Amino acid sequence: MAQTPKNTIDRQKLNDLLDYYAAKMKRQLRHCMHCTLCAESCFLFKMHRGDPRYMPSYKVINSLGRLYRRRKRLELKDLEEIKEIVWRNCVLCTRCWCPVGVNIPEMIALARAVCRSQGVYPRLNENFQQESWL
Amino acid sequence: MIVAHRKPLEEITDMIEGLQPLLVLGCGGCTSICLAGGQKEVEELYRDLQDHFGQVGREIRLGQLTIERQCNAQFFGELDRRVGDYRAVLSMACGAGVQFVAERYPNIPALPALNTDFVGVDRDTGWFEENCRTCGDCVLGDTGGICPVTRCAKSLFNGPCGGTRADGTCEVDPSIPCAWFEIHRRLKDQQRLELMRKVRHSREWKNQIRRSLIQEPFRARYQK
Repeated sequence: MAQTPKNTIDRQKLNDLLDYYAAKMKRQLRHCMHCTLCAESCFLFKMHRGDPRYMPSYKVINSLGRLYRRRKRLELKDLEEIKEIVWRNCVLCTRCWCPVGVNIPEMIALARAVCRSQGVYPRLNENFQQESWL
Repeated sequence: MIVAHRKPLEEITDMIEGLQPLLVLGCGGCTSICLAGGQKEVEELYRDLQDHFGQVGREIRLGQLTIERQCNAQFFGELDRRVGDYRAVLSMACGAGVQFVAERYPNIPALPALNTDFVGVDRDTGWFEENCRTCGDCVLGDTGGICPVTRCAKSLFNGPCGGTRADGTCEVDPSIPCAWFEIHRRLKDQQRLELMRKVRHSREWKNQIRRSLIQEPFRARYQK
């Protein structure tokens, strides 16, 4: 019952989704001042002793930001790497706070939605163990 | 965590009769974790419905989408964008999520593909066990962490019923341990047996009517 992911990108579906949200993505990414204030609101960041990979801004920039920058050239490899960030490094507790109003949970959820549209999401491995997806 | 399981396919096909096109909607929350209503399960139900209708020679028009939570409005953006293309939504969330979807789109039938079972814990992959009945009056501090509401067949609060079998099993169902036998053993190991003598008075069963909760730090926000 191990789950088999897809091995090709549905370019039409991906582009439709990214084109629809492109303006919102651009706006939210531009608003980020890199002030790191969001880090203080993330319990995962604190639990990992200030590891910058758990900063909400890092997570958004390296998931949604990457999806936006590479939106015409995305490959499954990109989505698999982004999956690690938006599922392992974030539990969508929605507690993160941004002083300029970037809706961080919405951005993480959008990155997850893009991954999901291509069948990229946490799955059971061959030993029927779940990936760290929280 | 909320645990649920998929309804029989026959029940689902009866429920969706005449409601097309139909959106099969997954949830990335509890029902993903309990392997009942996540994206993989959406894909499986989608295939099962196509196979079923194909076998009886009928057409079915389906869509599929999984959102991160069906119990939190901030995750409904993509669903808001697409739900208008469908006659009905077949939700693979828990009962709370199904109702939330129904409330948000009152003109679009929201149907449950799952039966919501209990609040429970993971024992192993695919194996979940009930631990809490959400009674709203937790006594776990006095019972060594063993819930008498959930684990006692009679939900007794002040010790065993007198029907505990010699091997510590329940007179109602010998396949389950007597909760109060377990509570006694746990409190004894913790050297807190005096708690067994504490009398719990008759309780208000708070989970019989719909409840609403605002956490204390947020009360001022909702006061008019």
